[in-house]
Amino acid sequence: MADLSLFAGAPPVAGINETLGQWAENFIGVFRQGAETFVGLVVGIIPLLIILLTAVHALIKMIGPERIDRVGEMAGRPGLQYYPIRYLVLPVLAVFFLTNPMCYTMGRFLPERDKPAFYDSAVSFVHPPLGLFPHVNAGELFVWAGIAAGITTLGLPIGDLAVRYFYVGLIVIFMRGIVTETISRIMFARRARGDEEPEVTAPAAPEGT
Amino acid sequence: MDTINAFLNRIGRGVGGVVGALYQAGRESIDMVIRNVLPFMAFISLIIGVILATGIGEWIADRLTGLASSLPGLLLMSIICALPVLSPLLGPGAVIAQIVGTLIGVEIGQGDIPPQYALPALFAINPQVGCDFIPVGLSLAEAEPETVEVGVPAVLFSRMVTGPAAVVIAYLFSFGLYTG
Repeated sequence: MADLSLFAGAPPVAGINETLGQWAENFIGVFRQGAETFVGLVVGIIPLLIILLTAVHALIKMIGPERIDRVGEMAGRPGLQYYPIRYLVLPVLAVFFLTNPMCYTMGRFLPERDKPAFYDSAVSFVHPPLGLFPHVNAGELFVWAGIAAGITTLGLPIGDLAVRYFYVGLIVIFMRGIVTETISRIMFARRARGDEEPEVTAPAAPEGT
Repeated sequence: MDTINAFLNRIGRGVGGVVGALYQAGRESIDMVIRNVLPFMAFISLIIGVILATGIGEWIADRLTGLASSLPGLLLMSIICALPVLSPLLGPGAVIAQIVGTLIGVEIGQGDIPPQYALPALFAINPQVGCDFIPVGLSLAEAEPETVEVGVPAVLFSRMVTGPAAVVIAYLFSFGLYTG
């Protein structure tokens, strides 16, 4: 650009129009950058996601969700050997076939005392499979895809990370199931004890409610 | 003739059922993409655009990088997210986890956070998963009101333990990831 300032040798002072132009350029640059990211995401993720979602939805329809209910009934039995079924097999099946948020309905086959732990276990598994089975929670894909995008930028394969995320997810939901069941048992027991003792200072129920 | 007719009829019904199921499945997935995935991508793209094109992201990123590139930092992040007061607020729609995950992803892409921290980071950003949804989730499981009263605090307290524990497990499992 030609130097249009009157005083030769003086630092080039940008005219008001140039400054405005520069601002506009910067302003639109923000959105241009965003648009580039958007195209990358749409082209890179959406087509595969749609086909995969379609395949899994079709599979679920053909198998029929009512068959998975039988596993639910079995998982509610007491006994140590049913822990892995209750907090590993059942949540995984529920999340895979019923997906978020319908997977929590699977808890209805369990006794009341196990429901909070099953919920904790199932809800913790709605993200770890996203790298392998995005259909389970496509609406919250970016819990996984955000971090995975960084790995892709580096040119590293994301498959390894996806598989490890899945495995660690399995361990974590099992652990959460057991820990939450223990905590809720203690709280249920405390509550039951509290109920037996007659409350001396029971507040009078407000009338009319 | 009747047997052939019956046979063709059965085939026709069978094929119709399969095609119908596939078509319905396609409709559901397109619905899902348009209603949930694309809006979030637009939103995330705008945020990434602002972060990359302006300097705003650097301030947040500096702190995030500090936290997300060491095990104690990730543990601290998971403990903060798992605080029973905060976790129900951070939970809805996993929006916070998705934004923080995206920020960490950008930092990993720029080489500021080593890629092997991706696995523990995935758990560190998300100990609050579902903490906003406990009463609804339990109602979906047809739980009694007393179960909900016990269940909400039980899950929230459990996360204080299992949130950081998940980060440690993920850290152990990240050995050998992207270091070869």
